[in-house]
Amino acid sequence: MRARSRALDPAAPVDQTEPADPAAPVDQAKPVDPAASVDQAESADPTAPVDRAKSADPAEPTDQAERMDQAEPADPPLADRDSGRRLTARRGRARRRGKARGIERPWMDVRDLWTEALAGVLARPVRSALTTLGTVLGITTLVITIGVSATAGNQIVGRFDALTATSVTVVVPPSQDPVPLVDWSGVDAVRRLAGVVSVAALADSDDTASVQVRANDVVSPGDVTGQTMAVVGASPTLPAAVRGRMTAGRFFDAGNIARHDRVAVLGDQAAQLLGISSIRDSPAVFLKGQAYTVIGILGEVEREQQLSTSVILPPTTAEDQLDLGMVTRVLINTALGAAKQVAHQAPIALAPGAENALAVTAPPDPVRARKGVQGDVNGLFLVLGLVSLVVGAIGIANVTLVTVMERIGEIGLRRALGASRRQIAGQFLVESTTIGLLGGIIGAVLGMVVVVAVSAVRDWTPVLDVRLAFGAPVAGALVGLLAGLYPSLRASRMEPVDALRS
Amino acid sequence: MTGLPTSVPPDDDTVIVPRADAVIVPDADTVIQLVSVDRTFDSEPPVHALRDVNLTVRRGEHLSIVGPSGSGKSTLLNTLGLLDRPTSGAYWLDGVETNTLGDLERTSLRGSRIGFVFQSFHLLPYRTVDENVMLAEAYRRPRPGRGRAGRRARAEEALERVGLAHRFGFRPDRLSGGERQRVAIARALMSEPALLLCDEPTGNLDSENTESVLDLFDQLSQQGMTLVVITHEEAVSKRADRRVRISDGRLTEESR
Repeated sequence: MRARSRALDPAAPVDQTEPADPAAPVDQAKPVDPAASVDQAESADPTAPVDRAKSADPAEPTDQAERMDQAEPADPPLADRDSGRRLTARRGRARRRGKARGIERPWMDVRDLWTEALAGVLARPVRSALTTLGTVLGITTLVITIGVSATAGNQIVGRFDALTATSVTVVVPPSQDPVPLVDWSGVDAVRRLAGVVSVAALADSDDTASVQVRANDVVSPGDVTGQTMAVVGASPTLPAAVRGRMTAGRFFDAGNIARHDRVAVLGDQAAQLLGISSIRDSPAVFLKGQAYTVIGILGEVEREQQLSTSVILPPTTAEDQLDLGMVTRVLINTALGAAKQVAHQAPIALAPGAENALAVTAPPDPVRARKGVQGDVNGLFLVLGLVSLVVGAIGIANVTLVTVMERIGEIGLRRALGASRRQIAGQFLVESTTIGLLGGIIGAVLGMVVVVAVSAVRDWTPVLDVRLAFGAPVAGALVGLLAGLYPSLRASRMEPVDALRS
Repeated sequence: MTGLPTSVPPDDDTVIVPRADAVIVPDADTVIQLVSVDRTFDSEPPVHALRDVNLTVRRGEHLSIVGPSGSGKSTLLNTLGLLDRPTSGAYWLDGVETNTLGDLERTSLRGSRIGFVFQSFHLLPYRTVDENVMLAEAYRRPRPGRGRAGRRARAEEALERVGLAHRFGFRPDRLSGGERQRVAIARALMSEPALLLCDEPTGNLDSENTESVLDLFDQLSQQGMTLVVITHEEAVSKRADRRVRISDGRLTEESR
């Protein structure tokens, strides 16, 4: 600019030595930013026709000379002038780049934005903490919902795996043929199949589904001692096949079967009904006029639970006494994952050539089951979590709006310091996003702690998705960002004049 | 820049329309030049807050603007501070014609050329004194040699300049009114402005603190800072080199 004044005014050089001018004494010593050489080009512009025509050349040496002066250190009094020159220089550069009118644009370092926003959040820590509550609740609910349902689903599937997924049942249709479709020895053929853990055959019939059974032979009037229960024949491997346990005595063995012994094993509930708790004194039960010695009590039956109220006889005895000679069901337990294959092979092993006559009950596809379970659990709570999130967002929006209104003076000041509307909006957006992010992090942590705690109490294995752990804070931040949109807009629309007045 | 004979750099597509009445081009030592500035508020009836105001402030001058409330003082301040646009007339600030600038450019110009000092200090209560001062550099690209890393040192330098070296790290609520105003002045100095624009700087201060702030103004003025102080206090305006009075939107130079 000095260059311009000189160029315009022939007397300008005098200016440099003239002490009357308040600015003059400092003028001489003025250190110029190296960038100031650009000054020439820029400062010329308002007056350029004159300038260019008159002084395009003469000004150049002057400027050179001025640049020579730069070596000297800056005095404080020069600071303001200096800045003016630097800025002008900057404008010059900007103009060269073709920027509109060459004035520097407001600009903010991301770190400054973050510092300002964080300071804004921390200025009122209690309020910020309370503001995060809504998001915390929402995110916690979501994480718990998703986490617990995944955990529980996994658990249900686990139980399903342990029992149903390894259970195969072959049902033998009743036939009039004297030669049975499935022989008792067919069980052995099935046992040899790969993946079979245990197997047992069972014989029951409609005729023996309800048989009067008494624990003693004394008939006393008015005293009901008889119970109605089912009587079945079974192979000696039954306890393993139904995953039960002998609570007293033992199950009958091959010897009992071979000898056609009149022995019986009672289901635990049947024993209770009949008043038999111990087999030490060899109790007997009476059915269809015959006495059978009770040699064991079968309890904790997981499969075919109706067996716990049944009287179980050796197949030979059952055939002799009750005409229960035909195998009606074969219970198979398989190794995990083998059910499908065993279900296919067992009928062939049991009744070669007539496998299609047998009905097989195999477990459903476990994957589908897991999805079904999770779907059931998720729906409602997911909605609940989303509702809490929306409430949280409204909370953040509300508080941020109040904060904006409280900080009108601050907004005015920042505008006076050169902050653009966008920078003001940016600060409030970052503040609300930070609050949302904090809520998301706290919510995710709380939610995961709850999932782990629930799992610990219920003896489950907690299942936590990594995507959930990282997604939850992001969701919180997103909520904060959305919630901050309107308040930030309000803040940025404020006129600095009005804002400073308040 | 419109309205002045101007050479157009080849890459600039601004259309320049020469205007007959604007021939005065401020030289480099003119910080403020108002040329027949009018400001009318469109109310019913229209309020003429400024009428044909002409004002030139040279670099290093200490000017006070006095006037009763309602005289247009605030409008003049807002106009000078680029917070408001004149309805007509030209305002040159530090060699830049501001009327044709866009909002962003005015904002940037305001931040870089003008240091504001307010009656109510406008310090952020939740930031320390140094952080308040450092705020002045937050909204612009760092100038060469004035990087972000040296900002704290420069803030401390500015605080030293206003005599508050012993208050680093304090919060504003622990300072007296006079000290707070000096922090605000340090903040204004931080951006190396061409102009210190003070709006009733002593309005909230007792006489003792007023004295200390005015002494600081004198000191700054001696160092070559351009000061424009808007006040209604006699004691404040007496210190200025030049005094203009505004009444009913018109400016009159006061001789003394």
